[in-house]
Amino acid sequence: MTYSFKLDNQIYKVNIEEDDSGVVVEISGEEYPVEYTKLDDNLYSIIINDKSFTIGTFKQGKQIQVFHAGNLYELEAISDRELSKSGAMGSGLEIISPMPSRVVKLLKSEGDTVEEGESVVVVEAMKMESELKALQAGTIKTIKVSEGDAVEAKTLLVVLTEE
Amino acid sequence: MFEKILIANRGEIAVRIIRACKELGAKTVAVYSDADRSSLHVALADEAYHIGPPKPAESYLVKEKIIEVAKKSGAQAIHPGFGFLSENDSFAELCEKEGIVFIGPTPEAIRLMGDKITARKIAKEAKVPLVPGSDGAVTDVEAAMVAEKIGYPVMIKASAGGGGKGMRLVRDKEEFENSLRMAKSEALSSFGDDSVFVERFIEQPRHIEIQILADSHGKVLHLFERECSIQRRHQKVVEEAPSAYLTEKTRKKMGDTAVRIAKAVNYQGAGTVEFIMDQKQNFFFLEMNTRVQVEHPVTEMITGIDIVKWMIRIAEGEKLPFKQSDLKINGHALECRVYAEDPAMNFMPSPGILHYVKAPTGPGVRDDSSIYSGYEVTSFYDPMLSKLITWGETREDALKKMVAALSEYVVLGVRTNIGFLIRVMDEEEFNQAKIDTGYIERHPELLSEESPEIDPALIAAAVTMEHAVPETNNGNGKSTASNWKLLARRLGVSRNPLI
Repeated sequence: MTYSFKLDNQIYKVNIEEDDSGVVVEISGEEYPVEYTKLDDNLYSIIINDKSFTIGTFKQGKQIQVFHAGNLYELEAISDRELSKSGAMGSGLEIISPMPSRVVKLLKSEGDTVEEGESVVVVEAMKMESELKALQAGTIKTIKVSEGDAVEAKTLLVVLTEE
Repeated sequence: MFEKILIANRGEIAVRIIRACKELGAKTVAVYSDADRSSLHVALADEAYHIGPPKPAESYLVKEKIIEVAKKSGAQAIHPGFGFLSENDSFAELCEKEGIVFIGPTPEAIRLMGDKITARKIAKEAKVPLVPGSDGAVTDVEAAMVAEKIGYPVMIKASAGGGGKGMRLVRDKEEFENSLRMAKSEALSSFGDDSVFVERFIEQPRHIEIQILADSHGKVLHLFERECSIQRRHQKVVEEAPSAYLTEKTRKKMGDTAVRIAKAVNYQGAGTVEFIMDQKQNFFFLEMNTRVQVEHPVTEMITGIDIVKWMIRIAEGEKLPFKQSDLKINGHALECRVYAEDPAMNFMPSPGILHYVKAPTGPGVRDDSSIYSGYEVTSFYDPMLSKLITWGETREDALKKMVAALSEYVVLGVRTNIGFLIRVMDEEEFNQAKIDTGYIERHPELLSEESPEIDPALIAAAVTMEHAVPETNNGNGKSTASNWKLLARRLGVSRNPLI
């Protein structure tokens, strides 16, 4: 089963498969062998790559809260229908700054085609650079910022159109 | 001995006091507002009485209502906790008049220490060092002159102030007039009194306070110091005992000084003398808190003395059976205040329902809290969820235990400062106890997680989706029970239309 989650205005696709040999989770092309058990209604013990985590989760409708090592993650489950709808809030066709940051480099130009998961913009926040990726394949329609720009959190940076 | 005690408070401290009463064999009486029907202190007490709407001014702060409940229930004594009526001398006086014991100092001691200007005067007479500044409230013109004389930077403080309200730091002359105006208007709206005083601002100050315990027979002891230098918005977040900074000589000098102040006002019960300390171990009197302090547990952990129980015994007239030389510091204790707030959003409170709570346990771990899965954090009261306390043989032990304990905490439903606290505990300067009250401002990188572990969170979310029970569907794509209905059901019959 594949789930799409929105977290800090980024969309992540998470594929979880269970067979006789166990559970494998795939996130952005990376595979993790996973073994989990439910401790109570809101608490899971999860072993990922032999590392053990105790993680609290709470689901209400599409909203999922995950609490891990002192940090709360607020995710939203996105259905495939919503994902393919363009223009919808935070759809896969928009690249949005997750936090106040500076645009370091634009890796693509308007008109370029991109693959799903391909990096489009490099931003720097709190002295750390991170690459913002296309959440689905498409063509770059508009780039709304220039290199060197300072942007607020949740600013729309790049708009894609479907191929 | 008191057979029944009323606890005029709520939350964690009410729970703490109820437990102490039970250990002493006294029955307990809780009071609660509309917003607190489901609070733990109500459930744990032997009796519980509703006293009005959520707003403190209409319930927990109404002296007559508290007295009425005390009489109705037959409680012989009232423990006020901290905040609310704990430092209200007219309430202490009213208790006296009505023949109910106020568990705390005399109304006179509360009054003397409650006014910062009088408190300064008393401290001066007791030869306690004071921060250079104006002797008392000043006019606008005098204020500017005093500032000029003692030299910038200066601090403007509300005479009736507390909790950081009505306080302004002024770095140079140009800012003075504007800051004075803001401090005065804040003081007026917070305390109904706009008188202010001016004093020198100590650079990189440490907040160090001495715990006092005094009986009604003239014995005044100190239970050593607590360091509370980690503050946000002038409010303490992390406290520890002892301070890793004090020399034995300074410790003794501070203890003796604090005892002197307490004696000057014939203090009885538990109290705290707060000092500000510069980088050369010079200390200056700040104020005396005439009540139990939020951070009292760290002192209990290193001295083995139950401060809350002793407050009650002292109010019963019991003599302190130990002397100063019997008291020893054993190991090190830390306290982290867990708040429903978002450090990344300037520590903005984050009220809401706690969908799930799992508190840490283990040797040397103490969790003073009143929260549980399903508890609602309202915006009527302080958003503190818990005080997590750890004890270790050394500061390093206590610190490592704190990191482990904080990492075990699970709170779903609201934003908390748990991640922030873990980052503070891991930070180099904090580890070396190089701390002062400007620590948090100096470390903005601790406010949010720089490299969150997103993948485990995503995996947990996927696992949760796999296990999700399909929500009942009534055909229109909406869940049959709206959040409002679920909330109403959880609250039961509520008298308060606000909820």
